[in-house]
Amino acid sequence: MSGASISVQGLAHRYGRAAAALTVLDRLDIEVDGGGYVAITGASGAGKSTLLSVLGGLDAPQRGTVVIDENDLHDLSRNGLADYRRDTVGFVFQHFGLLDTLTAAENIELACSLDGMRPRARRSRARELLEAVGLLERRDHRPTALSGGERQRVAIARALANRPRLVLADEPTGNLDDGSTERVIELLESLPADHACTLVLVTHDRRLAARAQQRYELRGGRLHPSTKVTTEHATAIGDPEEPDAVA
Amino acid sequence: MRWRDAIGLAAKGLRRRPGRAVLTILAVALASALLTALLTIAGTAETRVLNELAKGGPLAGIKVAAASPDPGQVDQDDARPGPPKDLDQAALDRIRALADVREVVPIVATRMLVVAPGTEKDGRPRQPYTDDVVGVDITRASMLPVTLVAGQLPEPTSLVEVAVTEGYLQRVGVNKPDAATVLGTQLELASIQGLRVTDDHVVPRGQWAKVEIVGVVAQEAGAGQILAPVEQVNRSLAWTKAGVTDDSSIPVPTSTYSGLFVVAEGIDNVGKVRQEITAVGYATSAPENLLASVQRYLKVVEIVLTSIGAIALVVAALGISNAMLAAVRERTREIGVMKAIGGRDRDIRRIFLVEAGVLGFVGGVLGAITGWLIARAVGGVVNGYLNEQGLASIQLALPVPVLLVTVIGATVLALLAGTLPAMRAARLPARDAVGAV
Repeated sequence: MSGASISVQGLAHRYGRAAAALTVLDRLDIEVDGGGYVAITGASGAGKSTLLSVLGGLDAPQRGTVVIDENDLHDLSRNGLADYRRDTVGFVFQHFGLLDTLTAAENIELACSLDGMRPRARRSRARELLEAVGLLERRDHRPTALSGGERQRVAIARALANRPRLVLADEPTGNLDDGSTERVIELLESLPADHACTLVLVTHDRRLAARAQQRYELRGGRLHPSTKVTTEHATAIGDPEEPDAVA
Repeated sequence: MRWRDAIGLAAKGLRRRPGRAVLTILAVALASALLTALLTIAGTAETRVLNELAKGGPLAGIKVAAASPDPGQVDQDDARPGPPKDLDQAALDRIRALADVREVVPIVATRMLVVAPGTEKDGRPRQPYTDDVVGVDITRASMLPVTLVAGQLPEPTSLVEVAVTEGYLQRVGVNKPDAATVLGTQLELASIQGLRVTDDHVVPRGQWAKVEIVGVVAQEAGAGQILAPVEQVNRSLAWTKAGVTDDSSIPVPTSTYSGLFVVAEGIDNVGKVRQEITAVGYATSAPENLLASVQRYLKVVEIVLTSIGAIALVVAALGISNAMLAAVRERTREIGVMKAIGGRDRDIRRIFLVEAGVLGFVGGVLGAITGWLIARAVGGVVNGYLNEQGLASIQLALPVPVLLVTVIGATVLALLAGTLPAMRAARLPARDAVGAV
């Protein structure tokens, strides 16, 4: 089983009404095969986060069609979108989005509990994922006791809790130092192959974007194949085959 | 999400702001304590007052006299007997068969000669006097207006044990607080029989027996100062009836029973049963009108006290609502994250409702316990005063229904108070809640 395929046609999204309306997505198209790795860059306010919100079912598409595998998100009810987020999507936030009152393991178990998983299975799944991100020994620590990189690895583990077929990451390295960034990038890169999912990430980090199979820049409400990844950015994290490749 | 998981998350949510949670619980606990204490005290006071009015007997008790009824008797609490009329087994059976009659306890009485122990104030031995000895089935004493003041009731089949009333204490010069001093003393009782010595001359003769006073009672079952097991009185009656029965100097009762004590099915049926007994042909008395008036006043007091407690509880519930709204504001991003990872509206709603319910339940339990302790403390102070006045203490029974109502009421109010914040949390748009995705 591979990741979820993405088919977006004519997606439009705007904020506000009438004269004060701000169009952030304008007839946007994108096609991603299952198991793909897509990086989206763009200026602040370009609409990257809005696009991720729509793909992740946090926002309903205002115009156009968004089909993830067989699911047309436009047809889903409020509960249907919640089920879609739970069963199909894993989110990784820049601010980590971990609940401070829960331990690392409990944060992962929370996602499992929303799927109705039984306690023993939840504990087992949390243990398995924490081991996969190298944080098993920190399972009983609360987020406040973890470093930024560790928190993001826990957040990635939580995103994988319900075996999502689409992982959406919003500036996953935005709050991390260089050492942690590298570890997180490696982890994210491994997701499509190791966890059979499609990875779409939004980033300002050119090094991270350079490693994607598909790279786009969101500009004027539409996606443009990216051409601005520099050689030094790409080689900074090592890309022996196509250090300056662009989509 | 399962309820168990929601409870776990709610508990962790409450621990996030322990000070606020504790203060909110304290507010609920104080209100619940007030409600519990007021209801317990009101309930105990009502029981005490009604028991005083019913003289310790069932509230739905009716005294039936061996006399014809006065036509207007059912409008009066006091008996208004007409001419004497024998109460026999047939009459008892008819009354027992009436609708809404739960119990019929027969009462017998006989005039006896009594010699109390000790001496008069001037040192002379006490003089014999005649008095009615009231006989009842001691095993059914709880159905009669008989209250034990000191000691115990006679054994049901005993021929040598009696209890005396407060009237007897007055006769022998003993104050009520010292009632226990007469316990264990012996009375000499004589059943009286008429003996014809000539055609026109009848003299009384007595059959003497010594009996021990084992208890002091307040009783309204009959008019005498001595209460004895029915078997003891029946033997005395048999002795009396074996003698001359047609001489006016030796009164011999013709009625099998001196009276009946009828217990109706609830106080609301007392009036109806009295009417039925009147139709059978006997005089009755019952404190039904007085009880009804007092009950109405007590009900008003109870409503006022309950309202005070309920208002306090509603104020506490508003505190819960306020605390929950603050929690929703503080945890907006957390709510968004939960929605992002698949939480449905109902999952979010459930967590906040459980938090509110926990606040109400814990506050309700603490309040109910505290209220009960407060009521006990108040009861202790009241008993101190009653004892000083030589009155019987009040007994505070564990008011299980009051405690349940308090805990359930606090929980339900808390759930209602938490509904708006929970709905608000559930309806937060996922994107807005999670912030910058």
